[in-house]
Amino acid sequence: MKARVAVLVFPGTNSEEETRDLLVDCGADARIVHWSEAASLVYYDAFVLPGGFAYEDRIRAGAIAAHDAMLDAVIEGAQAGKYVMGICNGAQILLEAGLAPGTGEIRRPTAAFTHNAQGHFICERVLLRRTVPATRCAIAAALPENLLIPAWAAHAQGRLAAAPAHLDELDRDGYIVFRYADAAGATDAHLAPQGSAHGAAALTNREGNVLAIMPHPERDAWNFNHLDRREGSDPLAPSGGSVLFKSFVTALERL
Amino acid sequence: MERVFAVELKIPDNEAFTAMRALQRLGVAVARVQRADILLFTGDEGEERLAASIERDERLFNPNKHRLEHVPSAHPREGEVWIEAIDAPRSLPMRRLVGWRLYDNAGKPLGNDDLDAACARLLCNPAIERAIR
Repeated sequence: MKARVAVLVFPGTNSEEETRDLLVDCGADARIVHWSEAASLVYYDAFVLPGGFAYEDRIRAGAIAAHDAMLDAVIEGAQAGKYVMGICNGAQILLEAGLAPGTGEIRRPTAAFTHNAQGHFICERVLLRRTVPATRCAIAAALPENLLIPAWAAHAQGRLAAAPAHLDELDRDGYIVFRYADAAGATDAHLAPQGSAHGAAALTNREGNVLAIMPHPERDAWNFNHLDRREGSDPLAPSGGSVLFKSFVTALERL
Repeated sequence: MERVFAVELKIPDNEAFTAMRALQRLGVAVARVQRADILLFTGDEGEERLAASIERDERLFNPNKHRLEHVPSAHPREGEVWIEAIDAPRSLPMRRLVGWRLYDNAGKPLGNDDLDAACARLLCNPAIERAIR
């Protein structure tokens, strides 16, 4: 039986369809669940929070959604070991909810993806490399070592920020699952296009069942996304950033 | 010398309403929320010149939906907290904060304990913001 994955939609979410489609192409039974259907979340094996502007970023990006009834189910599921992935605004919500990095109390954030250092929105293709052992985060465990994952950094608030000592702790203890990389696979803080601390693109929690990733792999996930695709290749075939979603579904199949 | 102005919506403030509903869901006894952009200037510029320059800057002020108020003190009033980003990039020549004024059922400014709870539970992310009381 295919794993059931809920793709959560809040007022203001805008990336739910491609997120759902990619999960389906990678082998999951993925369905879109709206904020008015929170009670149904108990029937799902895993949750994905897509990008957008939940509740118009009121107060702070992700702040209101983190207190939505949908997050009650996500928090309960995550604490029970279910897999949770948040992308872009979904990642911001997971940090506001305290699920990532999860070093403090629930809904008492210790870090944030906040305003870019340059003070404005960016949209550029980036490469990500897992910089922790495969066993550290189950969602990313099936990725080959040193694989470069393409994604799109499309955000005004994608810079990881926290107290310096906490950032060092996240770095030292393997919470930073993915970092921005160059084409040779090198990672360095200056490669983060928005000044993210330690070059961080994604955080996990202590248990490794939550992944908050800022750039969008699902926007570089089918051949039709690639202008330089091989002539004659199937435009609808998954490629590029789809590997992370495939790894997510593989992790669910191993449960 | 510090001069402070508040830019507040004169049309319904959906963000303040959302904050009120979220705080009520979190158990904070709040009945009304007012939100304003707090603009804090340091220097010798006169109050009238500053007010005029704010009203001319469309990044800060739209006369069709905003009202501008001079705040006599450089400190939040009773029942009010100012939230400031710790290291946000600054593109304007002043500090820009968000002011939240919270009122109880009787229309009185919220007490310190409830205001603390509102900050800790929703209005301020201490990883990236400071709450000024």
